[in-house]
Amino acid sequence: MNFIKITIFKLNYSVFLPLWNSRWIVLPVMTSIFIMAMIIGSVLAAPREVIEGDVQRLMYIHVPSAIISYFAFGITAVSSAIFLINGKMRWDAIARASAGVGVLLTIFVLSTGAIWGKPIWGIYWTWDARLTSTLVLLLIYCSYLLVRNLGNANDTKAARYASIVGLIGYLDIPLIHFSVDWWRTLHPQRIVFDIRPSLPTEMLIVLAIAFLAIFLLVLWLILLSATTEYLHQQIGKLSGDLEQMEN
Amino acid sequence: MRTTIIVLEKDLRIAWRDKAGWLSSLIFSAILIFIYAFAFDLAGTNSEPLLPGILWTTFLFSGIITCNQSFQQESVTGTLDAMIASPISQTSIFFGKFFCNLISLSIIQFMIIVLGTIMFQVNLINIEVILAIFLGTIGFVSLVTLLSAFEYRERFRAVLLPVIELPLLIPLLLAGVQASSSALEISNTSSPWLIFLGIFSLWGFLGSILLFPLVNEK
Amino acid sequence: MTISDKIIMHEKLAISVKKISKNYGGKNILSECTFDLESGSKTALMGANGSGKTTLLNILATLTSPSSGDACINGYSLKENSNLLRAQIGVLAHIPMVYPDFSPRENLYFFGNLYNLTNLDKRVDEILHLSGLWNRRNEKTNVLSRGMHQRLALGRAVIHNPKILLLDEPETGLDTGGLEMLKTLVIENSNMTVIASTHNNKNAEVWADNLLTIYKGKISTPT
Repeated sequence: MNFIKITIFKLNYSVFLPLWNSRWIVLPVMTSIFIMAMIIGSVLAAPREVIEGDVQRLMYIHVPSAIISYFAFGITAVSSAIFLINGKMRWDAIARASAGVGVLLTIFVLSTGAIWGKPIWGIYWTWDARLTSTLVLLLIYCSYLLVRNLGNANDTKAARYASIVGLIGYLDIPLIHFSVDWWRTLHPQRIVFDIRPSLPTEMLIVLAIAFLAIFLLVLWLILLSATTEYLHQQIGKLSGDLEQMEN
Repeated sequence: MRTTIIVLEKDLRIAWRDKAGWLSSLIFSAILIFIYAFAFDLAGTNSEPLLPGILWTTFLFSGIITCNQSFQQESVTGTLDAMIASPISQTSIFFGKFFCNLISLSIIQFMIIVLGTIMFQVNLINIEVILAIFLGTIGFVSLVTLLSAFEYRERFRAVLLPVIELPLLIPLLLAGVQASSSALEISNTSSPWLIFLGIFSLWGFLGSILLFPLVNEK
Repeated sequence: MTISDKIIMHEKLAISVKKISKNYGGKNILSECTFDLESGSKTALMGANGSGKTTLLNILATLTSPSSGDACINGYSLKENSNLLRAQIGVLAHIPMVYPDFSPRENLYFFGNLYNLTNLDKRVDEILHLSGLWNRRNEKTNVLSRGMHQRLALGRAVIHNPKILLLDEPETGLDTGGLEMLKTLVIENSNMTVIASTHNNKNAEVWADNLLTIYKGKISTPT
């Protein structure tokens, strides 16, 4: 047990802490490198898809964004749960930040899906299970942001209400997914935006790079947004303290 | 149990006396049926395929209005605070409100089913349909009871609560419509919608009980 | 101080507040409030509007939790917020906290039932007589005057004979009958520890044993 504690301490000190302290240098640099690699890879390196043509290259941002949006909302749900348990406002800051980023990412996913779908299948939208579930998730987290924005950065009541919505919303995801999936089996349609496992290796590599690029970008955005939110909270508290001192 | 019954009896008594409240929900649900009849031109056409959707959307909208009313009054009069400051647990308050909303909504649903049966010449008084409605209503009422305890200023409340509640209830709506369609032999679906409704209700019910005490903190 | 002295002191204290702070929306509503009140004492909590009186009373009534600090009320910790703690407290707030569609009798029955009172009928009748609402006991509360509302609210607050009574500006809205009721049921009740927030400093000096002043969220002169 002591050995584990010492190892964790050493890891914290030698790896995590320096990484955390250098996040504002490491993240932008790494994100830029991977985004550049993703752009070059998706535009130049990846082969042209035979049936769908160049529009198919949208897959390299659409698919990773879709998966990572769920990750962002997951952070919101977990942070909301922690906030409800310990009441510390920094968790609300993280929840709010990741919900905002998740909502933007989801809008991006639905937009790229529409742009991809139109030239290939002649439709902007289909009631595909995944797309529909994504749209429902967008609505839930838009309502999260709506509830949270009714109070200022330090409003614990708004934070608590929003956390409840954020937590329930995420726990609702499997139920949304199954219900929409079963609903779609009644009206079978072409499965669009499918990732066929038989993608050539070059495409898979670019997809992996894209995944990492979007992940780093989202992580950076969440950290930036959470830090800003946290600073808003501190400013609010300091203003309150200053007002009291002046009086 | 004793305190739940006290809260339930109080809410039922208030609902009975404040006739404007539940009557307006009742009339609203009847009006909705008429609106759907006109909007989808159901007079001459075969209305059966659309019926489950009409039923469940009516339940959802009138249910939201009905369930939102009880907390609204409590927060205006401050009596919710008086209950919270008393020795009863918040879970008792939740159960009392939940059962009152369940009874109120069940009465409205019964009226809608009877109206639907008469107007659309389809026998909706069917064991499977009623079971689907009952299961769905438990999950629906528990979630809406939890969320309607949020304290908002009047001008936000009317719009904000449905905006929060409706997306969360989409799985319930889908399952309710499909289970009812299957029960009325409108569609042949192999998916276990009734079981899904049961799972959703259990999830909604347990989640609401756990989260309710957190809502009332000032 | 010996251990037995401490035990005796603890038993004599009805309310012991230790460094209670409340921060809401970034503002410090209360800052490290600390005071002790003996059993049976009557305390006037004085302060301007916005000084934190209502917030302090809400915390003691368990309607809101403090951001930090704790209090001990008749041996029960505020943080634990047990049913036994709440059974000892009565609250009279700015608003009457009664059901407008219920009669005074129904209101008192409902709240008396929440406290699981024995001899509830007798107690309800007693309160109705003391509050002067006996003749209007079956009318809906929403037709009663403001003064009657406040008397009913006071009746609701004391129906279970609380050991601790928290009053938020009780004189506001109380008519002559209500003030008499307050004097009989509350001020002259030596078993009840009372904290009442008030603007009326002169009057407070007459009935209060202790005067607590709260200024910008801080208790400034405990006496």
